Amino acid sequence: MSEIAAAGVRPARRTGLGAGAAVSRGVPDIRRRLQLGLAGIWLLDALLQYQSFMFSKAFSQMIGGTAAGNPGVVASPITWDATLVAHHAVLLNSVFATIQLLIGIGIAWRPTVRLALAASIAWALGVWWFGEGLGMVLTSSASPVNGAPGAVVIYALLAVLLWPADRAGEPAPFTAARAVGAPAARALWLVLWLSLAYFALLPGNRAPQALNGMIAGMESGEPGWLAALDRDAASLVAHQGLAASIVLAIALVIIAVGVYLPPPAARGTLVLAIVVAAVIWVFGEAFGMILAGGATDPNSGLLLILLALAYWPVRAAVRAPAGTAPAVADTAPARAEEGTTAS
Amino acid sequence: MIPAWILDIFAAIMLVVAAVSAARLIAARPWQQRTRRAALADIDVAHLLMAIAMAGMLAASLQTLPNGAWSVIFAVMTAWFGYRVVRDAQVSGVRALAGGHCAPHLIHAAAMLYMFVAFTAPAAHGSGGMGGMAAGMTGMGTLQLPLLAFLFALALIGYSVWDLDQLSGPGASGHYSLATARVAPAGPVLAGVGATAAGIGAPAGPGAAAVSPAASATMTAEPVAEPAGVTQVPSASAPADGTGVLAPWVATSCRIAMGITMALMLLVMI
Repeated sequence: MSEIAAAGVRPARRTGLGAGAAVSRGVPDIRRRLQLGLAGIWLLDALLQYQSFMFSKAFSQMIGGTAAGNPGVVASPITWDATLVAHHAVLLNSVFATIQLLIGIGIAWRPTVRLALAASIAWALGVWWFGEGLGMVLTSSASPVNGAPGAVVIYALLAVLLWPADRAGEPAPFTAARAVGAPAARALWLVLWLSLAYFALLPGNRAPQALNGMIAGMESGEPGWLAALDRDAASLVAHQGLAASIVLAIALVIIAVGVYLPPPAARGTLVLAIVVAAVIWVFGEAFGMILAGGATDPNSGLLLILLALAYWPVRAAVRAPAGTAPAVADTAPARAEEGTTAS
Repeated sequence: MIPAWILDIFAAIMLVVAAVSAARLIAARPWQQRTRRAALADIDVAHLLMAIAMAGMLAASLQTLPNGAWSVIFAVMTAWFGYRVVRDAQVSGVRALAGGHCAPHLIHAAAMLYMFVAFTAPAAHGSGGMGGMAAGMTGMGTLQLPLLAFLFALALIGYSVWDLDQLSGPGASGHYSLATARVAPAGPVLAGVGATAAGIGAPAGPGAAAVSPAASATMTAEPVAEPAGVTQVPSASAPADGTGVLAPWVATSCRIAMGITMALMLLVMI
């Protein structure tokens, strides 16, 4: 009888991660898994960008529509961008889709993960302004239910939090804290979710029929079962805009402060975050309207779920004897595998 | 409408995949010898057929068989890989269903079958021949049950991302590490520990979490008994398996290309 002793046949130089990488198997740690989730969403985003709709005038009109309600300094570049896309729809959309495809592949391909994450931050911020009108956060129409503060800015946030580096010192209490540290990661989470709570309470969103109209507006073009779900959800909040907004805002505030709580309570609030994000994704965003065709991205719900997973408290690693893998690879994952460095 | 040249690029990639898969089949000569490679020939056959079918779906000029024939082919392929997955599951448990060696191929085959069965051709293009499928790519046809298309696309993207990670990662895992093992003396710790050739690496596929190599036997190769006291060490200079066009990364690269292209086709036809 025998045991397979070595990891694999691929030479370490192919990984570009140095000699230390060769001893580890291909099972990624938690952060790498989250990076792969982000890569998958980027790939999905890219493939959606290849849809027929995106090569038509409707795409430039959709971009131009995000200028409405924004201050002039924000709106002017959006209008310029929309005009440019209208004139060169095929060329520019092909470039847009290919860039996103390369970002997705680059994050999934280990040697290029840093380059791709850096590119994704720059790209996402550009799209946030020129393509999404800063998520409409400067207008009165931003709502957590319809994707504020903009799905694409959450891509950038995730790229920062999942950056393959580790801060020196104590093990990070959750994955998102590994690169930027726990205080900064918690602050980013707090700002994001408190802003969502603020948007939920905007006058336009707490009007009696505001939420109803928002959800009912998602029916168009959806499959029958999803349209029916939307109809039911819309009728549930009909004339209940104020109450629904307050309940949603309270839930969002609880989620925002949850990462400052002890791990058991934090886990509870993260579960709440995942549930709220899933409800928003299904009922408020209709899966980003992917099933209706013409979606540019899966919208914010899916990304909020991925973000919540990055804040899930992790167990302390069990230090294993030299030469063996740790029994629990959480807070001190196989850093050599990712080629990470202390910063 | 999607510009034809974009679809042509993806069709060209599929033709490359088909050519590479055919070359792998010829090089492996599965009809001459009963080896582990021969046992895996079904994967190259599947890649070859899928790539030809997808090229025809992307570019009408590359169409080969009618939709009905492809539906039968992919129904048989789905059944075959379904059988393989069940058989893997009997060996290695539920993990085989989530991320085993054959599960990605099952998803690929099922997605192809779905596309051929669920495609609704535009009226102007008749009853949905390959020309109709190519028209569907340009936005003139749709798929019934779009949720299924979305779920297939998610699964295909998931497998592609995982494959990319594993292909570029340190060492190799699961079905990537099929190279011939050389035999080296084993340390006393490992003597007497049972394993199979299939257990070289960790399970592959989204959601696979275990690190125990022995528990991840997801290959279909028969267990290989080795003399006690020896350790199999994959050799970078292995002469036959894992080199040239037969290198495991070649098949994986083909699968990544097909997975991404197939996901694109599904999403475009929603």
